[in-house]
Amino acid sequence: MRALGRTLLANYSLLVALVAYELISRSGLVSPRLIPSLVVIGEQLWRYMLNGDLPYHAGISLYRAFSGFLLAAVVGIALGAAMARSRWVEALFEPIFTFGYPIPKISLYPIFIFVFGLGTGSKVALVFLECLYPIAIHAMAGMRATDRVLVWAAENMGASRTQLFFRVMVPAALPTLFTGLRIALPVSLIVTLLTEIIGESKGLGYFITFASASFEYGRAMAAFVVVAVIGFALDRFVVALRRRVVFWLKDVPAIG
Amino acid sequence: MARPPRWVGALVPLLLVAVWEIAARRGDAPEYLPAPSVILAELGALVASGDLFVHAAASLYRALGAFAIGAVTGAAVGLAAGTLRAVERFYEPIISLTYPVPKIAALPIVFAWFGLGDVSKIVIITISVFYPIYIAAFFGAKGTSRVHVWAARNMGAGRWQIFRRIVLPSALPQLFNGLRVGLALSFIVMVVAELVASQRGLGYLIAFSEEQTRFDIMYAAILTIGVLGFAADRVLLAVRRRALKGQLLATAEAR
Amino acid sequence: MTGAAPAAGAVIAVRNLGKTFTRDGRRVEAMRGFDLKIAEGEFVTVVGPSGCGKSTFLHMVGGFEPVTEGELLVDGRKVRGPGPDRGVVFQEFALFPWRTVAENVTWALEIAGRPRAERDAVAERLLAKVGLTQFRQHYPAELSGGMKQRVAIARTLAFDPRILLMDEPFGALDAQNRELMQEDLQVLWNETRKTVLFITHDIDEAIYLADRVVVFTARPGRVKADVRIDLPRPRAIEIKKSTAYTAYRNRIWDLLRDEVLLARREEG
Repeated sequence: MRALGRTLLANYSLLVALVAYELISRSGLVSPRLIPSLVVIGEQLWRYMLNGDLPYHAGISLYRAFSGFLLAAVVGIALGAAMARSRWVEALFEPIFTFGYPIPKISLYPIFIFVFGLGTGSKVALVFLECLYPIAIHAMAGMRATDRVLVWAAENMGASRTQLFFRVMVPAALPTLFTGLRIALPVSLIVTLLTEIIGESKGLGYFITFASASFEYGRAMAAFVVVAVIGFALDRFVVALRRRVVFWLKDVPAIG
Repeated sequence: MARPPRWVGALVPLLLVAVWEIAARRGDAPEYLPAPSVILAELGALVASGDLFVHAAASLYRALGAFAIGAVTGAAVGLAAGTLRAVERFYEPIISLTYPVPKIAALPIVFAWFGLGDVSKIVIITISVFYPIYIAAFFGAKGTSRVHVWAARNMGAGRWQIFRRIVLPSALPQLFNGLRVGLALSFIVMVVAELVASQRGLGYLIAFSEEQTRFDIMYAAILTIGVLGFAADRVLLAVRRRALKGQLLATAEAR
Repeated sequence: MTGAAPAAGAVIAVRNLGKTFTRDGRRVEAMRGFDLKIAEGEFVTVVGPSGCGKSTFLHMVGGFEPVTEGELLVDGRKVRGPGPDRGVVFQEFALFPWRTVAENVTWALEIAGRPRAERDAVAERLLAKVGLTQFRQHYPAELSGGMKQRVAIARTLAFDPRILLMDEPFGALDAQNRELMQEDLQVLWNETRKTVLFITHDIDEAIYLADRVVVFTARPGRVKADVRIDLPRPRAIEIKKSTAYTAYRNRIWDLLRDEVLLARREEG
């Protein structure tokens, strides 16, 4: 009980924000339809969770996000490793990355629809492309940053190139790699939602858009809450995973 | 292993463009991939007619305007939170809770609240840009070496002086990293917001041209966005180089 | 008694060795015209001012830095890269933070496919030798600098290299532990009589451990003097108080002092 009290006190600004929101909602300054009371949001959340709608759409969004993310992880790590190993591979690929980064690949989405059709394929492809960059760059940086002395020590003890790669460079690269994964994971979710907002009939992005278009803002915000919880939980998951896998480092460094 | 020459980086893109051009000319390319020469021609036409300028200006106004607001607020709040415990205790819970939340999901709601014009776009871009800059400023300020602060105190510096002369310069490198991320993000969110709902701007141009199946216009718009984003990034890097003059010398950057 | 090492049966033979680094267009000459011969079973220590290239020399013998001028032969053959025949103890420890102490010690055996029982036995024996038996399941991050250094030494001894290349291996230890480790190393070496190239800043340490002390000049590094240490073995730590010892120390410091001043002047 005391621990709960202490947590609430530490996060008092959240409570203040929630209370302020509720007050604004009830004050009548703006139409309560636009700024639904927390009670209404809660009620909509309850209803649409129970009838299975929200879980269904959430599942679809998650499936798309994860598929693209995992694909990007596999390819990104392989690509990053190749770039770390060979300066030529790096010279070939790095400019594409650097120049392609500021281009919102979402603008290529119409092309993807042409190639992959309107459904999940085009979305997964876009997620893959957007997540690839941070993962590959961090994989490469992580392996590049392997302490020279560790490589020398391994060579001194007679390690083959394969042994050197898997037993020294990969573990040494893990911390940085996890930073890349931590950055890419929310990107996968964002891109998925985006494609669903732009044009779809399934997924949380669609759900929010449809609710907004029907002026059911309580419902839209309830879905937003689900999105928020998912995003938050995923991030915590990655942090916990990192703590277990990269057990030899104490602190989780800041993002970016 | 010899260091590959600089121009190697241009090989793959040039090759791709060449293959693309040849395939398009021969009629082998699908409908949605017009020849690069056609795209460039259309780009020229858009520039000549002044259309490109109108759309680009609208987009830049939103992106850069929102970036400026988000950068100033993010840096200010972040630096304050990194320096003063009380500020940190207020902001940290909210920020770390909402950071992993895809703010894009609020897009329909933001449109509902602020309409479909410039304001809503600037709002969503500002919110998106705020986060990475806040985080960078926060950790940059927090990372200020304690010993440096003690040395300053030892020499009689006051609180504001310590902030301006020790914390701020210490935080600048990391702050600039955040600014770079924020700048790229402002372009991305701008395009996204315009794709969903707008009547002007490069993102609008993409959506419009796609509807009209004028893919040459679409690629011209995409190219313009890329170039503008790249240029903006270069400008920021130049500013960064001046602002961080002495500090970069000790790093691998100074080559 | 300055004298050249016996040429016959030289394990490490260096002739006119030079090393130039190019760092963004600027050339830094670390070594020039450097000659040295080390015979089988000799313990040779190298002292010199900072930046004189002694670590670079060790890295070249170890096969990490390529030879740019001159000749460097180990067992009559050119050095072609690192290998377990020349075991290195690095100044920076170079322990793998994701393995335990015991796993670090037996890493070379593990990648060579030695069976678990053998590896466990080796780990136990060597950790006892360096006094870290209780820490065999700990991770390097949990150890102090001195302890990490001892693990690094144990690791190199584990794969029993013919030649030992030690780069300031006791640098991270406090003065008391340093003396103890010097004694232990001396005892160990007496048992096995490996060929050792040992770099240090500490003249006392250099004299105590060595058959020969090589004094490097300031950059670009060359051999300034090669002092044969004729003190009886085995050497108890008390030998450091003897008059013969003090004579060596004075002599070597005289040789070294000029170089240190030169190096300082060069720095500006």
